[in-house]
Amino acid sequence: MKMILISKSNNPLLRGLLIFIALGLFFTTDVSSELSNTHIIQAVMCESIKNHRPINPAVVFSISLGEIYCFSNFDPVIKTSYISHKWYKKDKLIFTIQLPLYPPKWSTFSRIQFRDADKGPWRVEIRKADNTLLKTLRFSMVD
Amino acid sequence: MENFLYLFSGFRWQDALDILLNSYILFRLYVLFRGTNVIRALLVICGLWAIQQAAVSMGLIITNWAMQGVITVAALIVIIVFRNEISTVLQTKTLKSFLWKIPRHQFNTPLNIIIESVFELARKKIGALIVLPLKQGLDSVAQGGIPIRGKLSQEMLVSIFWPGNPLHDGATIIQGERITKAGVILPLSKREDLPSFFGTRHRAASGLAELTDAMVIVVSEERGEISLFQGNQTHTIHNRLALGKLLQEHTGDDSTPKGVRRQKIELFAIGLICLLCFTGIWLRFSNGLETLATQEVPVEFINPDQNMEITSSSAYNVNLLVSGAKPLINAIKPEQLNIKLDLSHSVVGINKFYITRNNILLPPGIRLKKIQPAEIEISMDALIEKKLPIQPNWIGNLPKDLIMKKAISIPATVQVTGGSLSLKDISTIFTKPISLDKITKSGTIDVVLILKPASLKLQTKNTVQIKYIISKKSS
Repeated sequence: MKMILISKSNNPLLRGLLIFIALGLFFTTDVSSELSNTHIIQAVMCESIKNHRPINPAVVFSISLGEIYCFSNFDPVIKTSYISHKWYKKDKLIFTIQLPLYPPKWSTFSRIQFRDADKGPWRVEIRKADNTLLKTLRFSMVD
Repeated sequence: MENFLYLFSGFRWQDALDILLNSYILFRLYVLFRGTNVIRALLVICGLWAIQQAAVSMGLIITNWAMQGVITVAALIVIIVFRNEISTVLQTKTLKSFLWKIPRHQFNTPLNIIIESVFELARKKIGALIVLPLKQGLDSVAQGGIPIRGKLSQEMLVSIFWPGNPLHDGATIIQGERITKAGVILPLSKREDLPSFFGTRHRAASGLAELTDAMVIVVSEERGEISLFQGNQTHTIHNRLALGKLLQEHTGDDSTPKGVRRQKIELFAIGLICLLCFTGIWLRFSNGLETLATQEVPVEFINPDQNMEITSSSAYNVNLLVSGAKPLINAIKPEQLNIKLDLSHSVVGINKFYITRNNILLPPGIRLKKIQPAEIEISMDALIEKKLPIQPNWIGNLPKDLIMKKAISIPATVQVTGGSLSLKDISTIFTKPISLDKITKSGTIDVVLILKPASLKLQTKNTVQIKYIISKKSS
């Protein structure tokens, strides 16, 4: 679309300016797409993961399970990058883990082991490397 | 002299006003009840109180206990026995006479008219019975009578007692410059020592004089003799001068320079006694044994910026070490002690305030010794608004074969107002704990939100709806 505009112009000065703008737009689009093209298509809390699939995704979990998974699935992944899973109990940050993402698509997870004292409301924030929030998952640990 | 001046070292204008005001109240009470038996009874009660105080200081426990009871009973007896005198004093007085006037007993009584009438009646040997009441009411002792309320005149008074007049047999009551009643029946005296020639009229006069403070003039029908009854005393009147003198003494219309001077001296002396009494009471309060006491006083914050709030304070109560006379210390009420801190110049963050004497309100006569703590740190925060997501706080247990797939809050977020420092670390508003124990299928539930810290405020109602979806667990 931008190239068509350039080819139709006869003024060399204007042509040069449009080429400059077009190149600028191209590179800007390229840089932003590197961040925005990491699309999260699924993010759930679940009891376990089997065959790269979350088992029993839910928002309430029994402490007797011992551990809980935060599953996240990205498609597409343009280039190798990192995301982080930040686990909060109420509003207090408990645990952070950085996870790699590889092209063309990638699913990844983090898990945390729970004790009896960990009952209560929790949340996991899934953030990009630049700390942009992708998703917040809220759940409760109960009896 | 130095010791005397030391007694008044802490004297303030409020103390002077206090003493003068109370002295005047006592003085007015004396003036209003002057000449009545109430004053005498109150003096007796004061005497009993002095005995009780002496008993306390000497450690006489039983005497003290007995005197307390006697004083209480005596106060009741005074009210019951002297109710007529008290009500007469209270009913007949206007506000001006309560506060200012020096009342005369029979103010403005035209004595000359009475004297001339009495001597005319005596000359004509017409029997008469004239009552001049003072402060004590006659209602409880005198009966009947026809209300007249006519202006006193010699003709009228003589005509009342004129033989054949239907009212001539009873007594006529004169109050001020008016004849209030005629034909009144008086109680007869039971005295044995009255002369045998005294008839019923004399006995009635004596009976009323014995029971009340009234003066009664009797004109004998047989002998044309004038007798005057007052209390238990009987005077036989021979001339106008003697009657006039007795009437003047009775009515308080002692307008002679000597009489006026005597009254002035009496009132001045009473005023002085009242003043000395209350000065003594003030000295007792202000110069009693010095007592120290610690009072815990809450700090009041005044003039806060409407867009700021107090998030914390290093102290909310301050201990004040105060001193003063023991009765004053014991009488301190919590609301009399006040510490006020002006927050009008406070800023966001930590503000230091020094508590000085200027911030503290103390009751009169109480001195400040120490302030603990004298410095308070107050954290102030600017009020901001923040939109926060709501998260349900589930507790209990779901049946093992069920899972909660989803829980949505309606609305999903709430607008919260609070201090910027408080809200900085808050990213979620939680609900009250919601029990899972009775949940077996999908549904909705209304729950209350919990705001921590409590200073946070919601823009809307604090109840939200939680919609939840329950499904079977896959094995």
